[in-house]
Amino acid sequence: MWSVAPTVASGDTVILWLGRDIIQALVVTPGKVFNGRYGAFPHDALVGVLYGSKVFSQKERGFLYVLRPTPELWTLALPHRTQILYLADIAFVTSMLAVRPGSTVIEAGTGSGSFSHSVARTVGSKGHLFSFDFHQDRVDKARIEFLRHGLHQRITLAHRNVCKDGFGLLDRADAVFLDLPAPWEAVPHVKLALRSDISARVCCFSPCIEQVMRTVAALNENAFSEIQTYESLLFPQETYSNPAPPPVSQITNALKESEIKREQRRLRQISNAQLRKRKRDEDADDQNLKRPRLQDPAPSDPGSSSSVPQPVPDADPDHRAPADLPDNPPKIVVSKTIPEVRGHTSYLTFAILLPSEFRPRSHDATTLDTNIEQSATKQEQSVQ
Amino acid sequence: MRLPPRRIQPGHTVMIKMPSGECRSIKFDGVGTISLGKFGSFPAAELVGQLYGLRYDIAEKTLKVIAPPSIEDVEDTDATNELIRDSSSIQEVTYQEIEQLKSAGVLPEEIINKQIESHASFALKTEYSKDKYKKRKQAKFLKHFSTIEPTIHNVCDYWFKKDQSRIRDIRPDALSQMMTLANVHPGGRYLVADDVSGLLIACMLERLGGEGRVMNICDVESPPVYHIVSYMNFEPQMVDNVLVSLNWATADEMHEPILAATEPMDGQKSSDGQRIRMQKRKLAESALFETREELFRGNFDGILIASQYEPYSVTERLIPYLAGSGSIVIHSPYIQVLTEAQSKMRADPKYLAPSIAQPWLRQYQILPGRTHPMMNTSGSGGFLLSATRM
Repeated sequence: MWSVAPTVASGDTVILWLGRDIIQALVVTPGKVFNGRYGAFPHDALVGVLYGSKVFSQKERGFLYVLRPTPELWTLALPHRTQILYLADIAFVTSMLAVRPGSTVIEAGTGSGSFSHSVARTVGSKGHLFSFDFHQDRVDKARIEFLRHGLHQRITLAHRNVCKDGFGLLDRADAVFLDLPAPWEAVPHVKLALRSDISARVCCFSPCIEQVMRTVAALNENAFSEIQTYESLLFPQETYSNPAPPPVSQITNALKESEIKREQRRLRQISNAQLRKRKRDEDADDQNLKRPRLQDPAPSDPGSSSSVPQPVPDADPDHRAPADLPDNPPKIVVSKTIPEVRGHTSYLTFAILLPSEFRPRSHDATTLDTNIEQSATKQEQSVQ
Repeated sequence: MRLPPRRIQPGHTVMIKMPSGECRSIKFDGVGTISLGKFGSFPAAELVGQLYGLRYDIAEKTLKVIAPPSIEDVEDTDATNELIRDSSSIQEVTYQEIEQLKSAGVLPEEIINKQIESHASFALKTEYSKDKYKKRKQAKFLKHFSTIEPTIHNVCDYWFKKDQSRIRDIRPDALSQMMTLANVHPGGRYLVADDVSGLLIACMLERLGGEGRVMNICDVESPPVYHIVSYMNFEPQMVDNVLVSLNWATADEMHEPILAATEPMDGQKSSDGQRIRMQKRKLAESALFETREELFRGNFDGILIASQYEPYSVTERLIPYLAGSGSIVIHSPYIQVLTEAQSKMRADPKYLAPSIAQPWLRQYQILPGRTHPMMNTSGSGGFLLSATRM
């Protein structure tokens, strides 16, 4: 597939990592310059560096990481021609379809080639992928990509509407993956393309439940068994190093203290007001000595009165008031699922096709099968 | 290339599924009688050479391959459970009568029909409910079983249902994501810490297809028996040149392994037995040194961990041997263990973008008029922490 050498060579496809959301693929071409958000990087500066290196820009202001491509990194970096398949789906489909080194797999459609790269990696040089798409432009682009990534020997690519014309393959594949708007139309063709000497497997990838219902009906009619539908997702988690949450005793004490302060302030205000009033009265008395004096119960020093609440001393060091807390409270590592996650990609419907003598009774017309079989035999030559 | 069909052979570990959904495994030697308890027994020889994944009926101590059930349409009616009352007298056939019928050799289908006939309110049930009743009785009485094809998915699923804690909550979807995140491919070289009875190793061996290296670092003196690997029924070439082991002491560069003598004591004449023993020790010793050398030369493509030990301490030991741009993937049943490790990795420039994700899986029942997510689902398949070596 891609280069396995420890260092980057001219002509290598590399992945440039500028950030979690800025991942780009690049063919190292001496003489060219990569201009990214973090500065200019001449390709020549990449030649000879170890994969996994941090590379600084020409002016040494910014940097990026040079990574070896993997199907997953390529998926993050690839030019999206269609809705791409997600890692969780690709992984689960590979597992359920029992794809392994040496497997022969069929996929339709090719789309952006995300699943193609992943399967080509897993089947290895002894396995094979037949990939079909009814969109000529996508096929042309994928062909160039597969060639550039050294996958052209592992992948046979064809421009073809498999729902109408079938796969042109007979008794050939260990597994078939359908990412089509109407997979049920392709199910009779799948039956012919799958190997008849093993438990062969199919997966249909559909976003809507109505599609799933029709697909399940078609699989059942065509003698597939063990029909199962799943959803597989990955929820990314965020991690923070946060101050440990304070105990509630802390705020209880703080509130008690502020209660005392508030009462002290109120009493002070009363006493001040009385002092001011006495002063005014005295001033008035000076003018009118015959006016009787008011009884004055207000203490001269509000703090000394026994009726005023005092701050509650707290001996427990864990229950100190905020003022006593250290400047750096202990930190703890916490995590939560990110606020918005992908909650649905598609339903994955799997089924098994047993060798013909062991299949459940089929409800479909045998004549249709024979017709499709004849055309498949004729077309097999054209695909290979 | 055409992968050979997987067939049952003596020496295999064969996983079996009962109509009730219960699974068990048998060490298959191809001789004698295999007993499946109340479901009956049959001669083992009947299974030799059979394709995996077929369904059988045990009839008169022989096996007959039967087709798996297809989905039957159930007609919608106006029936409701309005008039159905729960009562012990609703079923007139008693347990004793059923046992008598069984011992008299009455076919399971007939027993089920008899139960339906004598069910006081069967006719009042909705068609869906009738269907469910029949399926429940079939699971109980039919003398059917299926063999399970030993794909890594099926083996993982078998163990996840049988003993989830033994495989540290690695659900099949989580295992497949580990392979994808670590870019496991034929010819690749990987360091593995498998404390999950060999499940991770089994998956790696399947994905390598006999080419590449799985070096497992274990926590016992000599390589353990990886119990789950035997469930894959691998051909020897899938394992022999691929899997090697060290332990955490022999994997330490600063450590001089203490080895038993390989030469007889001075002046002593050795017996044949001793000579053979010495010869074996020499081979084991040179294999150990070769494996150590290979580890210390490094340049591995990935590190995969499903271990009881603190993950950051494990990666710190192994990361010197990982090539630049190589992947690190750690599974743990506990997110707290991973968040601690992740926060240490974040402060360490060797690790690019350490990320945690939780695998989530849900199965659906797709039936005409009865489509819904399964009522019971797996709560946790663990958590994954992945990073790239800089």
